[in-house]
Amino acid sequence: MTIGSQVKQSLANMKAIHATLQQLALTSTNDEAQRAFHEAMLETEQMIAALKGRISTLEREEPQYKGM
Amino acid sequence: MPAWLEVAIRSICILIGLFVITKLLGKKQLSKLSFFEYIVGITIGDIAGSMSMDLDIRLTEGITSILIWSLFPVAISIISLRSKKFRDFVEGNSTVFIKNGKILEDNLKKEKYTIDELLEQLRKKDVFRVADVEFATLEANGDLSILLKRAKQPLTIGDIQPYVPEEKEPQTVIMDGEILDEPLATARLNRGWLKQQLDQMGVAVENVFLAQVDSYGQLTVDLYDDRIQVPEPQQKQLLLASMKKAEADFELFALQTNDKEAKQMYEQQAKQMQQLIQNLQPFLL
Repeated sequence: MTIGSQVKQSLANMKAIHATLQQLALTSTNDEAQRAFHEAMLETEQMIAALKGRISTLEREEPQYKGM
Repeated sequence: MPAWLEVAIRSICILIGLFVITKLLGKKQLSKLSFFEYIVGITIGDIAGSMSMDLDIRLTEGITSILIWSLFPVAISIISLRSKKFRDFVEGNSTVFIKNGKILEDNLKKEKYTIDELLEQLRKKDVFRVADVEFATLEANGDLSILLKRAKQPLTIGDIQPYVPEEKEPQTVIMDGEILDEPLATARLNRGWLKQQLDQMGVAVENVFLAQVDSYGQLTVDLYDDRIQVPEPQQKQLLLASMKKAEADFELFALQTNDKEAKQMYEQQAKQMQQLIQNLQPFLL
């Protein structure tokens, strides 16, 4: 497995984390928990953006792995 | 009028009357907090019983008696609410039996308690060593309340974790296969969400005997058919596991890459994820 696909897997994992956090933020009735989940969700959004940036750099450097 | 008919009429009337009186006396009477309330309860029952059976007692006499026995405690409880002194007089005070870990023999004698009885009461509270008790008091209703020494108190979650988030009471959203809309709304959820959750579990609403939602929006169900295994909600555990995986991933990438900038980015993300896990851990356990 190339580094590119590993990073992409990691991105998928991060997206799953983001979705679960979002769901928990919506369904929690405890305000404190809701806030914590929401803040964590926003933070994961930044991390996802950073990962995406890295993936496009990887694809530019090694075009043969593009789309994998 | 035949005697049996009169007994029947009397009994039914008294039953209804007693029902009203018990509502009037309230829940406090049920707990029999004081000896007085205990006696009042028995006496009212006894008067009502003999009134319904004994035709020699005239109804007016019986009703007068019952009214006095029931209204008097109500009056006393109203005055008790106002005055602490009156309350102490009527309901009595508690007596301290153990203070600073030492038995107060004089108070035991005053309440005519033998040491055997004290030990028995302590054992009922799972205390077998008097030395473990910091403070014990005999309440006005005869119960013994004890405070264990700090080192002997059971461990609570607050002792291990500095911060524990509050958890709200769970809401019962399905009973006997019927969806209850009001608790569902209290949990800020709706029927659509519930249907979706049940579909994920693969059960129909009609087959659910009881379903509850906790304050994280996790659904637990009990089915009519006890042979079917329903998975426990694992969303929070899974989230924690995938967050740990993400952290490990970032650390791995940071080690593998030769690009300086990327290395820095990955290291920073690993740190950020670590912080995130630490922040969320109290909510996810």
